[in-house]
Amino acid sequence: MTGEQVAVFLASSLRLSMPMILAASGEMVSERAGVLNMSLEGMMLTATFAGALGSWATGRPGIGLLCGVAAALVVALVQAVLSVTLRANQLVVGIGFNILALGATTFLYREIFGPLSREVIPGFAKWEVPLVADVPILGPALFRHVGLVYVGFALVLALWAGLRYTAFGLAVDAVGEDPRAADRAGIPVALVRYVAVLIAGLMAGLAGVFISVGDINTFTEGMTNGQGYLALAAVIFGGWVGGRTVAACLLFGTATALQFQLPAMGIAIPTAGLMMLPYVLALLAVAGLVGHHDPPAALTLPYRRGA
Amino acid sequence: MSPSAGSVLLKLDGLTKRFGAVTALDDVSLSIDAGEVHCLLGENGAGKSTLCNVVFGVHAPDAGQMHLEGRPFRPTGPADSLSAGVAMVHQHFSLVPTMTVVENLMLGRLDGVLKRRDFAARVRELGATYGLEVDPDRRVAELSVGERQRVEIIKCLIRDPRLLVLDEPTAVLPPEEVAALLAMCRRVAAAGRGVILVTHKLAEIARVADRTTVLRAGKVVESVTMKVADMRALVRAMVGRELVSIDRMVAVSLGMEAAGHAGPPPRPARPAPANVRTRRDDALMVDGVSYRDHGGALRLDRVTLIVKPGEIVGIAGVEGNGQSELAAIIAGLVCPTGGRIFVGGRELTRRSPGEVTAAGAGIIPEDRHAIGCIEEMTVAENLFLGALGRFTRFGLLRRRAMGEAAAALMHEFDVRGSGPGAPMKSLSGGNQQRAVLARELSLDPLVFLLAAQPTRGLDVGAVDAVYGRIFAARENGAGVLLISSELDELLAASDRIIVLYRGRIVGELPAEAGNREAIGSLMSGHAA
Repeated sequence: MTGEQVAVFLASSLRLSMPMILAASGEMVSERAGVLNMSLEGMMLTATFAGALGSWATGRPGIGLLCGVAAALVVALVQAVLSVTLRANQLVVGIGFNILALGATTFLYREIFGPLSREVIPGFAKWEVPLVADVPILGPALFRHVGLVYVGFALVLALWAGLRYTAFGLAVDAVGEDPRAADRAGIPVALVRYVAVLIAGLMAGLAGVFISVGDINTFTEGMTNGQGYLALAAVIFGGWVGGRTVAACLLFGTATALQFQLPAMGIAIPTAGLMMLPYVLALLAVAGLVGHHDPPAALTLPYRRGA
Repeated sequence: MSPSAGSVLLKLDGLTKRFGAVTALDDVSLSIDAGEVHCLLGENGAGKSTLCNVVFGVHAPDAGQMHLEGRPFRPTGPADSLSAGVAMVHQHFSLVPTMTVVENLMLGRLDGVLKRRDFAARVRELGATYGLEVDPDRRVAELSVGERQRVEIIKCLIRDPRLLVLDEPTAVLPPEEVAALLAMCRRVAAAGRGVILVTHKLAEIARVADRTTVLRAGKVVESVTMKVADMRALVRAMVGRELVSIDRMVAVSLGMEAAGHAGPPPRPARPAPANVRTRRDDALMVDGVSYRDHGGALRLDRVTLIVKPGEIVGIAGVEGNGQSELAAIIAGLVCPTGGRIFVGGRELTRRSPGEVTAAGAGIIPEDRHAIGCIEEMTVAENLFLGALGRFTRFGLLRRRAMGEAAAALMHEFDVRGSGPGAPMKSLSGGNQQRAVLARELSLDPLVFLLAAQPTRGLDVGAVDAVYGRIFAARENGAGVLLISSELDELLAASDRIIVLYRGRIVGELPAEAGNREAIGSLMSGHAA
């Protein structure tokens, strides 16, 4: 493999991991507060479409970004109302959202763009980080991406620090481990969970916009293609710990990048097999690691005072 | 502005609280002074916990007023009470087990950055002042029950409350730690705070109380200063009947009488071995059983014990030292990581609960609600869920025959309820436990009985009934393994006592009053 190929491979691995890193980091916060957003895939897909639409209609990717994030936050808010306030089953609600999001975005896409349109969406320009962008191999691999990559990593680090060093972060963990004890300590359980779900929505929104506006510059039906589910798997694989979760996302992203890299290197492996790779890895990782890390004790359990 | 000692801190006037048809508090009036330890005494269900919860703002009273330092006090919730200077340690702890002590103490705010080091320093300082030593950086899951309670108390004291409410704090402690807790209560009172201490143990009251109020059926029946208190009068007030009629096991469970002080063992003379159905085999043999939990922690370490037919072996230990795991393994609910289990000579290692029952082992589990019965189902269904074959013909369930058999069993075991068709959850705790006993003791033959915390949460009448049945099972030749966190109960009921500490057997002594101290210190991890 030439140096150039290595750089391309690393760059595409990072690019393909990015949506999952964003979504999984937000989802980890929500799960640590005890709410499982099975609807992560739907949130991302909604944001992917809304972001593309906003960017296409106004010609400004920044507006697209706002549209996408706002759309994902709306989905997250409804998810929070259903699973926190109305105490609906989180799995059922999430799956319902995913089906709805797929149907709604497909329908609107066909109505607005026309079926099988490949309309180009105005996207973000790549940003070459000064000084380091010209370092051989690493420069093109790591420092020539759209700004959202760097903003995203900064947000992920901020989330970790928030969980570890702030009173709110401690409240998130308390609410996810033992909502009754948290309640007795004076923590507003529902409020903390709402905020946590909205953080997941915000990050899923960024992830979705990254796919359509930041990376591929178009929209296709079902564009997220299971990356929301992979992000959910990464949170489990990562044992609800920030660093490990991001590492899992990088693993899945690298596996996806292999799909393009191996054929380019002339290694003949059936495409279908390669496309399966990240999902097979996720399956193995989750199956192999079940029981190795304890999930937050109150994950998926609604809280009702006094019961 | 600490209130001067002796001034009235909290005054309750005509407090009444109803839950549906039940009147939990009925026109309760009393006052707590600054600088005093005020004990609330009463049976289960007398309204002690309800009273505490009203003071702490968990429940709003239906009638009556409270005054805190002369000002009207109407807390809208626990947070309100806390800010008014009332703090409470609940019977069930509310600590997040995965977090450290300091993290638990810092919980409650949503804004700001955590100051772990500052808090740790305050924890050490409070610990030194009140004798509440605990390592601030350890995870709560690793702490003993006594240490967790200290964390709960520190959690209260860190807010500098004027009134500290402790709901049955000694129920979970080993004898040694009880003394330390009571001493802590005195120190808190000496600092000018008021302390409400709920208990049903008279011995503790005598050691720590300035005043005692006795509740029965939601009413104040007696309120005395300790200078003039007469223990027997307190018991009479609490139980509502004369002392002479109180069974000895009951007296022991109230802490009135240290077990065995009443001279010769009061057990009925046992039938000669020839009259007992002769069995060659041990009722229970636990052979080198070890157990590691999911986290890899060793919960039981090569436990070996034998229960012979016609004897009661008591397992003493502070809660969380492996008793629950041992009970679950014997019941077939948990597979041991090593060792073997025999009942009546038949190996039952890694067998299902159904096979354990079939071998003649009756199991009274410690958690009646979760494991002992299915509260949503009827009494009859609960009694015969494991024996439905008896009532099945051509694949159909003969409900009438089942109801009749259940009615007979309920009569025999004095299970009071509206009938075999009543849902289990409509029964009182004592009657639920009688129903569980009825099911487990009607096994024929009953080779072995596991009784785990059989009287927990039961009132005086039910304690009496439960031990009567357990003794009867022993007279019929069953071997009984009795697990209890109440050392006095074990001393009074058992033939010999085995002490568990951190999953190991650390000693075995005859159940004699003279061994009480020795057993207590073994329970705390000190060699006898």
